Amino acid sequence: MQAGTITLKQAKIPVILISLGVALGVVFLFALRIGQVTIPILEMAMILLKKMGFSVQYEINAVHETVLWSIRLPRVLLAVLIGGALSISGAALQGLFRNPLVEPGLIGVSSGAAVSVVTLVVFGSSIALYPDSLSMKFLMPAVAFGGGSIATLLVMRISGRVGKTNMAMLILGGVAINTMCGALMGLVIFFANENQLHMFTFWTLGDLSSATWPALLVAAPILVLSSLWLLTYQHALNAIALGEAEAFHMGIDVEKVKRGIVFFCALAVGVSVSLSGIIGFVGLVVPHLIRTTFQADHRLVMPASLLGGPLLLLLADLVSRIAVAPAELPIGVVTALIGAPVFIFLLIHARKRNVIS
Amino acid sequence: MMMTARNISLSVNGRKLLNDVSLDIAPGLFTAIAGPNGAGKTSLLKILSNESNQYSGELSINGTSVSQYSVTDLSKVRSVLPQSSHLQFPFTVQQIVAMGRHYQSSPGQTRKVLKEVMALTGVQGWDERNYLTLSGGEQQRVQLARVLAQVWEERDYPRYILLDEPTSSLDIAQQQLIFSLVKHACERNIGVMAIVHDLNQVAQFADTIYFLKSGTVVARGKINEVFTKSIIEETFCCRVNVYHDPCTQCPYIVPDRNIFQSPLKTVNV
Repeated sequence: MQAGTITLKQAKIPVILISLGVALGVVFLFALRIGQVTIPILEMAMILLKKMGFSVQYEINAVHETVLWSIRLPRVLLAVLIGGALSISGAALQGLFRNPLVEPGLIGVSSGAAVSVVTLVVFGSSIALYPDSLSMKFLMPAVAFGGGSIATLLVMRISGRVGKTNMAMLILGGVAINTMCGALMGLVIFFANENQLHMFTFWTLGDLSSATWPALLVAAPILVLSSLWLLTYQHALNAIALGEAEAFHMGIDVEKVKRGIVFFCALAVGVSVSLSGIIGFVGLVVPHLIRTTFQADHRLVMPASLLGGPLLLLLADLVSRIAVAPAELPIGVVTALIGAPVFIFLLIHARKRNVIS
Repeated sequence: MMMTARNISLSVNGRKLLNDVSLDIAPGLFTAIAGPNGAGKTSLLKILSNESNQYSGELSINGTSVSQYSVTDLSKVRSVLPQSSHLQFPFTVQQIVAMGRHYQSSPGQTRKVLKEVMALTGVQGWDERNYLTLSGGEQQRVQLARVLAQVWEERDYPRYILLDEPTSSLDIAQQQLIFSLVKHACERNIGVMAIVHDLNQVAQFADTIYFLKSGTVVARGKINEVFTKSIIEETFCCRVNVYHDPCTQCPYIVPDRNIFQSPLKTVNV
């Protein structure tokens, strides 16, 4: 083993978290700065100060102001919130199912949420509910949460009796439910008008460009709260890593933890999907990278996922904005292009180390 | 003050797995449960450790019915070592042993306890080692350290440890080590109950023995009371000879090798 690997593995948890936090801050500023127009850092600060109500003695470019405030800032904030929510959900579900290959998409949360939102959008217009109306801003996350929960509960129901989850059944159940959700989505899209057809890409490949302040303000508290709530399960997840019975004997109310994690993951992922469609692989790759680079202790993996997820999603978003400028790649394409090879590598690697039986 | 099970019965799909089993686990003593395969030992342990609750009968710890305990309170009076634990994530030895201390008192006490149990089980200095890279025996010692850590701290009430075949798949030195550690734990006002397959180890270490057969307790008592040729032959349906170690007077058994020449029906069951 190389010297470098050993030091990374032995790094203290606060040191790792602070480093990730600093990296996130830097990338955050870059993401605000870079794009079709580049805004100097100083001007960015002035615009933000002005928006906060300070009187600023600085000549602000009006275009820059609009771009930063109305387009880039909500988009970057959305990337941070969703990146964090997806990867901490991934970390929590991997811990709960004691398997490093689980991610929110696998157990049906994402597709369940997506199909229910698409249904709402397509059929909502016939009862005068339009995607841009305020009531939809509340309705969409709620419906996404409902659909995500139902899909997850179905998968869990298929995969095992209470207290014991069969991994092969979980994956097969997830495949079945995901296929069904995909088919339902296709069916709904069949009824969609020309305009709504464009949504299909949006929901299945993910897109951060629709970020607006009202949508963000509705979703942010839910995403922040559910992500932080998931953090409280780090001790329980450590115990569950040894086995559900073992965790129970160590004083963990496993059934309660299970219900809590599934609920808050469905909430976080469902709301994320209602804002940006299905962004795959973030929830899989981030916790896994942290576990293999540093250590498996959930007291690290959980908070580090909360910082690493936004970091990865911001970088992916930068790529999606820059790669084919002035057009944009759907962010799901970027995360899948990076994520899928990483996933394959992890699979092969895990098999070599007998981590997966 | 002890852990007691009264009139435990368990039926699964109309088949009676346990029939009116009563037993006591007293603090300071090592209680061993032995019996042939399929006697219901593991079912009994699952009930005693509340992993299964489809039984009739009464379970109590230190005079209070287990139904009155919260999951967390139970973890303070009782820890359980399952037969095998499968881990998917590369935790370090220190992290695993420390998990046993999650609901326990101050960090200072925890450091002291961890140091003691890790030294005792011979896993001290392994703090940063990856659990997944350890051998079976080493993993078992780490798990034992975790289980000990959970109830190690001195309290004003007795604690209990339940072990499910703690030495299966270990070599004889490791087996002796595990059992002497368990005996050592008894001295701390801890009652230990273990399912043990090797009768000679039972004879060496156990204070009280329960022989279980077809879901029923067929014999209980101290070594010299139950370690007789007739009781063992009746329980295990196997001809044995009981001898005594000339130095320690501890009984040991040698099964008859001619089991096929002497059909089972000739054994007086």
